Amino acid sequence: MFDEKDLILEAKHVTRRFPVSNGRELVACNDINLKLYKGKTLGLVGESGCGKSTFMRFLVWLDRPTEGEIIYQGRDITRLKGRELHEMRQHIQMVFQDPATSFNPKMKIRDIVCEPLLNYGRIRPSQKRDKAAELLKMVELPADFIDRYPHNMSGGQRQRVAIARALALEPEIIVMDEATSALDVSVQETVIELITRLQREKNITIGFICHNLGFIQSFSHQIAVMYLGNIVEVMPGDQLSQVCCHPYSRALLSAVFDTRMDFSKKIEPIKGEPPSPLDLPTGCPFQDRCECCEDICRHEKPTLTEIGPGHEVACHRFGKGGAA
Amino acid sequence: MALLEIKNIDVSYGKHVTVSGCSIDLEQGEICSVVGESGSGKTTVIRAVLGLLPGGGRVSSGDIIYDGRSLLQLNKKEWRALRGHDISMIFQDSGAMMNQTRLIGKSFVEYIRTHEHISKQDAWKKGADMLSRMRLPDPDRIMRSYPFQLSGGMRQRVGIAMGMTYQPKLLLADEPTSALDVTTQAQIVRQMMELRDEYGTSIIVVTHDIGVAAYMANKVVVMKDGHIEDQGERGYILNDSTNAYTRKLIGAVPSLGGKRYV
Repeated sequence: MFDEKDLILEAKHVTRRFPVSNGRELVACNDINLKLYKGKTLGLVGESGCGKSTFMRFLVWLDRPTEGEIIYQGRDITRLKGRELHEMRQHIQMVFQDPATSFNPKMKIRDIVCEPLLNYGRIRPSQKRDKAAELLKMVELPADFIDRYPHNMSGGQRQRVAIARALALEPEIIVMDEATSALDVSVQETVIELITRLQREKNITIGFICHNLGFIQSFSHQIAVMYLGNIVEVMPGDQLSQVCCHPYSRALLSAVFDTRMDFSKKIEPIKGEPPSPLDLPTGCPFQDRCECCEDICRHEKPTLTEIGPGHEVACHRFGKGGAA
Repeated sequence: MALLEIKNIDVSYGKHVTVSGCSIDLEQGEICSVVGESGSGKTTVIRAVLGLLPGGGRVSSGDIIYDGRSLLQLNKKEWRALRGHDISMIFQDSGAMMNQTRLIGKSFVEYIRTHEHISKQDAWKKGADMLSRMRLPDPDRIMRSYPFQLSGGMRQRVGIAMGMTYQPKLLLADEPTSALDVTTQAQIVRQMMELRDEYGTSIIVVTHDIGVAAYMANKVVVMKDGHIEDQGERGYILNDSTNAYTRKLIGAVPSLGGKRYV
């Protein structure tokens, strides 16, 4: 599916356990294996609490995995410290969900977008004005915005500033944690157009977290579906609705409201809510909500198996020997 | 005759007019959805219907007729009888709208006893019964929980159950699914549609999710900058409307197998 030489970052057996009271532990990410390719977008989808943000936070060192490694530029980046870590941070940047709370409200836009550049000594303070105007132009904002404060701007404009700040250091990878969820649909559309244009121009790799499958399939090259800390399906983004076969992915797909759907058809939401990640059932994590749960699902946990080009699924129905 | 007629209302804060010339008719058993970007005044309109405009806001012209009488002329006592009994509201996060330091059951009992003279025990039973009618598992446990102990979807369903206790003729829902996951959203949407089918409740849904709006509603109202830009039957708004803003809004909705940016 993707060229292996374009492989830019690889997560191997990443697991994160959080200790909780009574000596128990919560497994937020369980044995995650994912690959990011140069200039491509990986969409990570799942319900709240499934561990998708936890995983993406490893990439920007906001947290470290308990086990496993993340290989970038030939090194395990989870073990970096001090000077090396500081240098490495330039290459992976992040855009947060809520642009209203991810800026210092007392800093002007020019200081916000130039702060990373000053941190790495890429520009002198006297160059701030020109550089800030240039960055704003890149995200299609007027240059006189450099003297504004974040509260003087609309949500869409603020998110553009957040993108400008993340791109200031010209990173190879950008992590976007629900970067458009707080925006209106029409603004969301323009922001996505901007992101995809910049991705094409600068060949950036994007890791995008979202919970709306319908939205994420419109710009992802690769989509991973997560459920309770496990990756249950990885598939190519352009054929999502045809190839997706894990019962959970199908359920997510059927829960998407679309202006082109058949309105007379009753929607069939999956029943119940995800169980607490503290006491996961043995076997398949999705067993209690799955319609095609069989005996084997209750005892044995399915592993990711490749069933097509770039398409892996963790379900006993699609195990060895092709589709059931 | 229409159940609710919003007749050409203006809503003002002081001298500043935020919503102008808004008219919506709603029949018995009809679902109307109000869509628009944030700041377009959609919440203001349904808050005006329930007389819940925040400080200083008032309906400065026009009229709101519910079941043959004007809502703007009601006194406090008449409002108390109407709100929560004939007209109910569901908020974006029902859990956050409840008192966090009181049990859900306590809030529920208080609500029931403002509308009905029954004992606390009977009110508790009625509340638990309502929860089970809304297909919430283990209603007694929920009555004995605090709002923060429940998940977002569960709290929203408790909010709906509370709103439906007296089988209101009109249900106002302010972004009822925006804070929820897609799977929970589907459950809530389905539940609200069932309310209409079972009890004939008329519903006004305010949402910015056009997919949800289109699925639920018979009638769609598009708002922009405090006025109604376009309104009509669902099929008309989705396919035939010639309004440029409506077209742009519908076009921006991500759709499966639709436009791809890469």
